[in-house]
Amino acid sequence: MTPGADGPEARPGETGMTEGSGMTDGSADETKNRRGKVDPRLLELLVCPLTKTTLSYDAGRQELVSRSARLAFPVRDGIPIMIPDEARQLGEDE
Amino acid sequence: MTTTQNRLIDRQFGPMAAAYVESRVHAAGADLDLIAARAAEVRPSVALDLGTGGGHVAYALAPHAGEVLACDLSAGMLATVARTAAEKGLANIRTVEADVRALGLDAATADFVASRYSAHHWTDLAAGLREARRVAKAGAPAIFADVVTSGVALYDTHLQAVELLRDPSHVRNRSIAEWTALLRDAGFETLAVRRDRLRLDFATWIARMGTPEAHVTAIRSLQEGASAEVRRHFAIEPDGSFLLETAVFETVAD
Repeated sequence: MTPGADGPEARPGETGMTEGSGMTDGSADETKNRRGKVDPRLLELLVCPLTKTTLSYDAGRQELVSRSARLAFPVRDGIPIMIPDEARQLGEDE
Repeated sequence: MTTTQNRLIDRQFGPMAAAYVESRVHAAGADLDLIAARAAEVRPSVALDLGTGGGHVAYALAPHAGEVLACDLSAGMLATVARTAAEKGLANIRTVEADVRALGLDAATADFVASRYSAHHWTDLAAGLREARRVAKAGAPAIFADVVTSGVALYDTHLQAVELLRDPSHVRNRSIAEWTALLRDAGFETLAVRRDRLRLDFATWIARMGTPEAHVTAIRSLQEGASAEVRRHFAIEPDGSFLLETAVFETVAD
């Protein structure tokens, strides 16, 4: 793991989590939200565990995408899995 | 090696998640009361529970915090915590599967950090504490509670041996001196250390972890063959029940 890797790698203009089209809004039923899509308030707090840069949320694939690490972290049952070994390597066209 | 150890933790704890939610040792205690009391004073916006396990710290923090982030390596534990939080009506608990050495949280996210009965599973306690400090705001209270060793090698060896036999994901119980040095190095100022002893009922302790019979036999053999000093120190009872030393470190992020 790379505890010292938190460099200023965020891209210019990237100020926070990108919310996908399928995002549940804040008024949605909490329990349903918890079981399904990742909580929007949680998304605002998460960064890539390797590069500490912002993530984009792909609601369709239920993934949190780190462009800087070229990894997609899965969201399972509404729980973000921020473990690099569990992440999918992004393809060249992604 | 690290991934293997992390998966070992998930494999060990995932199937036993319900037992940890129900565990009386985990569901109550002066340390848990202290964490709740401090949170009630501070009223944090974002409180972090590192190694949430059965979720008891998160449940204690939730009434006093805007959001509680319950982090753990075990997906099974987190699913159980999410379900239990919903049952308790605690809608502000968010679960995150993460390694304490690289949490996937932005710097200065949390204004309250707590961890209880988790750090002895961390493969690199120093790195975990540094990461806790990174995600904590300056001045944030941070409370760490865990089983500790006396610092005496004789007792330390016995404790680590029975802990590992019971739970293959056990890493190490640290002494109070080790803890305070690691906390200082990570950037936490220790304000107070509260020591206590905790009686573990042997049958419950073993059942909660699903320890294989061969290992149970080995633990009993170690206990029965232990010297008088060791037996006295841990107050080992005829059925194998014994006393653990615990400590709560009340700190603040520098």
